[in-house]
Amino acid sequence: MGTYETLLCVGVVAPLAMFAVLAFFGHRIGKPLSGWVAVFGVFISLGCATYVLAGWLSATDKAALMATTGYDWVVLNLFGNEMPIQFKVKLDGLTVMMYFMVTLVSTCIFVFSIGYMAGHSDEVDGQCKFHRFFCYLSLFEFSMLGLLISSSIFFLFIFWELVGLCSYLLIGFYFDKKFASNAAMKAFITNRVGDFGFLLGLMLVFVFLQTFDLDQAATNFRQQYATQSGIFAADIDILGWHISGMGLATLMGIGLFCGAMGKSAQFPLHVWLPDAMAGPTPVSALIHAATMVAAGVYLVARVFRLLTPDAQFFIAVIGCITLTITALIAIVQIDIKKVLAYSTLSQLGYMIFGMGVGAWPAALFHLITHAFFKAMMFLGSGQVIEGCHHVQDMRRMGGLRKRMPVTCWTFFIGVLAIAGVGIPGAHIGLGGYFSKDEVLAVAYERTYNWEDRFGGHEKDDGHGAEALHSAAPANDDNVLRSGKVILASGGGHDEAAAHGASGGHHDDPVLAGIAAKQHKIPKWMFWLPIIIAYVTPFYMMRCWWMTFMGKPRDEEVYHHAHESPLMWAPLIVLAAGTFLSSYMMFRPQLGEAAVHATPAPLVVSVDGEVPGSAQEELLGLSHDKAKDPHAALIGIVGFAWLAGMGLAWLIYRNGLELAERIRRLPFIRFIHWCLMEKLFFDHIYDTVLVGGTKWVLAQVSRAVDTYIIDGIANLLGRGTVRIAEFSGNIMDTGGVDGLVDAIAESTQGVGEMVRQPQTGKIRNYVLFGTTGAVLVLAAIIAVVMS
Amino acid sequence: MFEIGLTHYLVVATLLFVMGIFVMITKRNAIGILIGVEMVLNGANINLVAFNRYNGMSNIDGQITSLFVIVLAAAEAALAVAICMNFYKNLNTVDVDHGDTLAG
Amino acid sequence: MKLLTLAAPIIVVMLVAIAPAFAVDTDLTLSEQGIQRSADGGLLEALMFYVCAAVVLGSGLAICLSKNIVRMAVYLFGTLASVALMYFLLLANFIGVIQLIVYAGGTLILLIFGVMLTSKSPWAKFDVKRNELIAAGVVCALFACLLLFVVVNAEWPLETDAVVVGSSMTQFGVGLLTNYLVPFEAMSVLLLVVMIGAAYMARQE
Repeated sequence: MGTYETLLCVGVVAPLAMFAVLAFFGHRIGKPLSGWVAVFGVFISLGCATYVLAGWLSATDKAALMATTGYDWVVLNLFGNEMPIQFKVKLDGLTVMMYFMVTLVSTCIFVFSIGYMAGHSDEVDGQCKFHRFFCYLSLFEFSMLGLLISSSIFFLFIFWELVGLCSYLLIGFYFDKKFASNAAMKAFITNRVGDFGFLLGLMLVFVFLQTFDLDQAATNFRQQYATQSGIFAADIDILGWHISGMGLATLMGIGLFCGAMGKSAQFPLHVWLPDAMAGPTPVSALIHAATMVAAGVYLVARVFRLLTPDAQFFIAVIGCITLTITALIAIVQIDIKKVLAYSTLSQLGYMIFGMGVGAWPAALFHLITHAFFKAMMFLGSGQVIEGCHHVQDMRRMGGLRKRMPVTCWTFFIGVLAIAGVGIPGAHIGLGGYFSKDEVLAVAYERTYNWEDRFGGHEKDDGHGAEALHSAAPANDDNVLRSGKVILASGGGHDEAAAHGASGGHHDDPVLAGIAAKQHKIPKWMFWLPIIIAYVTPFYMMRCWWMTFMGKPRDEEVYHHAHESPLMWAPLIVLAAGTFLSSYMMFRPQLGEAAVHATPAPLVVSVDGEVPGSAQEELLGLSHDKAKDPHAALIGIVGFAWLAGMGLAWLIYRNGLELAERIRRLPFIRFIHWCLMEKLFFDHIYDTVLVGGTKWVLAQVSRAVDTYIIDGIANLLGRGTVRIAEFSGNIMDTGGVDGLVDAIAESTQGVGEMVRQPQTGKIRNYVLFGTTGAVLVLAAIIAVVMS
Repeated sequence: MFEIGLTHYLVVATLLFVMGIFVMITKRNAIGILIGVEMVLNGANINLVAFNRYNGMSNIDGQITSLFVIVLAAAEAALAVAICMNFYKNLNTVDVDHGDTLAG
Repeated sequence: MKLLTLAAPIIVVMLVAIAPAFAVDTDLTLSEQGIQRSADGGLLEALMFYVCAAVVLGSGLAICLSKNIVRMAVYLFGTLASVALMYFLLLANFIGVIQLIVYAGGTLILLIFGVMLTSKSPWAKFDVKRNELIAAGVVCALFACLLLFVVVNAEWPLETDAVVVGSSMTQFGVGLLTNYLVPFEAMSVLLLVVMIGAAYMARQE
């Protein structure tokens, strides 16, 4: 293993070690100190991550640095060939970026947690749970980092389940409260539904691609498509359904995506995330905003090469639905954490949608910027909740800016970032301005420039592509792009060099065939996210204004409010992270990672507007000046933040009265009710799934009652009547009374006889068993001998 | 006579097995029954190892299986002793003939 | 008679102690491939076998006839230890060692503890009805006859050892972590379950 891989492993193991220490000695280490033990562990991880990141950024030849090292965990002999399941560390741009992001965010959150948990009652039955909290957090950190460095989808699944477990433990941290333990259960069970699909996908991968290694699987997939063998030649009948070839491959992709659907809380499995806010706020920040829920997006990014066009379209649809409904629900929430939870769902929807439309780097870029600003906002809300003595209702807050200025303004930075504040035309903006709008830009291309870019595909001959690419840097209008690159590169690396180094696969005939299968994104799937881009600033501004601005609405809450340094220091770090992540390193690094992580034909052809290097096409879409996020969308979404935030300011600047009046409007009232009821998903699930199960069980048991038990009873009754008639007849005609007695006696006699061996003594049973064995053996011997 | 082969071991195993069954039948002490079970398992184990030795193939499948049997026997003994103690706690004796509450 | 019953376990212990010396000195030699059998041997092996068989069956019979649970446990030790010796003779060194450690060392102690914890007096006797004894004897004798009939008359593929099976620890280790990984893991889970179950059942309320 090289230095970097070793360091990544050290970073993974350090929190595990702290987990062990806390698990065994946590109760002795005591209340504040055990928190610092956990911080120490995660700080080691952060150190490793920083070192690796620095090395990665300063390296000129990243392809040489990329590595997958490890060993065979177990070698299976299946289907006549050897299939190693490998435990390997994957080192590439995506891993490095995600690893750094996760460790940085979690270091901040760990430190914050010490301050947060200090003020919380953490005793159940006289047992202090403080160390247990950090114990779980360390375990989570280990699993999450393990998930990031796994090169095998099998180990990815293992860590996937581990983070799910930690999520369960931490949501239900206050397990003595009924709602918390219910929420934990709900999260766990909902995730199981998704993981079931994930497992099915895994099985398909295993059976048809014959490997768990991500790179190998992608290679096999591509090759099987090229030769139309393996999964593409498969032919399966399930319950009258005929599935073959491409359909099965699509199912595999959708199966894998189901895992992401559960973990990233995508429609229709999104119901668990808002409930998961029952956990302590740092947990919501770390697990349910920044890292674990983003693991779903990460998974899609990793298996992107195994997705067929149909599967991608499915993913885009799911993402689109999620981001729309959850953003709408967020408008009416009054619990500060619930607003953030729904906005998280909505942003996750954007990421998944981005993955679906092929905006691979943009979606991951959004993941990273979102992780910073959303973690910051969650911690801010934690600060507010802690400061206000566990009041979460925004209607009772207001005017808190004087009491907690740092929280207020860092939260505002988060609002600006999620709203996508930026000035179109200048390279100034924050968070979503770059990342979310880029997703939208790709969606725009897929919707409106479809014929231009994808239709004429097969006529082109590759030279056009090169010309286009070589022309791009010379173009004067390309200032934005190059400006971004310069800002981002920092270390002075040249992206073009990376493009060149990774070139290859020009004029791939496979690509041409598949690009034709790519879906054109329907118009509604482009316009819904655009509309939501207006809604997002509105509800975030509403949340911020209701909490921090205006006049205090509850004297008691206002009076209690305070900040503590242990808690606002991480906020400042994360605010800085929000600024930096918007500009520096992440986006170009991710673009570069895309070069290596998405070379498969089906994926690349998503963006395959021109034939040529698969890699270049993908990057071309993201970096081409003509497709700068705001070049095409400037009129549509460039000032969405201004409109949304302005509207919120207009409505809420004088307290809640205006909002209340609007709510009373006849039609609005109905919509408000629907949204307050979370669009009835919980009700539907409760009625249809839970109720349905109960109904089926009731029907089955009723049927058993009616037909079997009643039937037997009736039969017995009727039989008894018959016997009575019969014996009555005998008595009448023959007068043979004794016969009945004889029957009764003989019955009793047989009963006695049968009862005799049932002594209840185990020794006798052994004797009978042995006798039986002797008889059987004798019979066998007799048969064989004769 | 002096050439020891598979059959010799099988004979010993058979006799041990049958004696184990005899012990199970005739001992009223719960621990005694357990001893009988151990004898039966040992008899079976001798079979496994002997077949492994004389099957003409150079693998150790039989031995590994017998290893599993030993582990299972140890686990079973632990559980059985626990059951005996419970039995004793409830009935104040280890005479299994008293454990016939469910007799028909 | 009493002297003999006390002496038998001691003899067995001595036998166990000198068993490796027998194996190496006579017709089995250790080499890098495991234990090899020299071509000329046979007599001492046969002798060892008969001694072992005698102890196994003798102590087995003693268990059958004994009425005292503590004595039975001691006889059981004779049986188990000489079965371990048989494993050595069968070139299954590892299994032999495990037999000694787990059975003779662990299970037996467990049994004796069980006796001590459950018995009002360790010398308590439970008599069995005579006709039960007779029935058991008849059935078991029949069973033994039938089984022996099969064993003796069956045509086994190999009567002699054409291939010498080594049983090094390496082979066991590799076997347990490759072909037998799943049973091995299942066994570990089983042991965990048994541990919890036994502790649960034997708990003081």
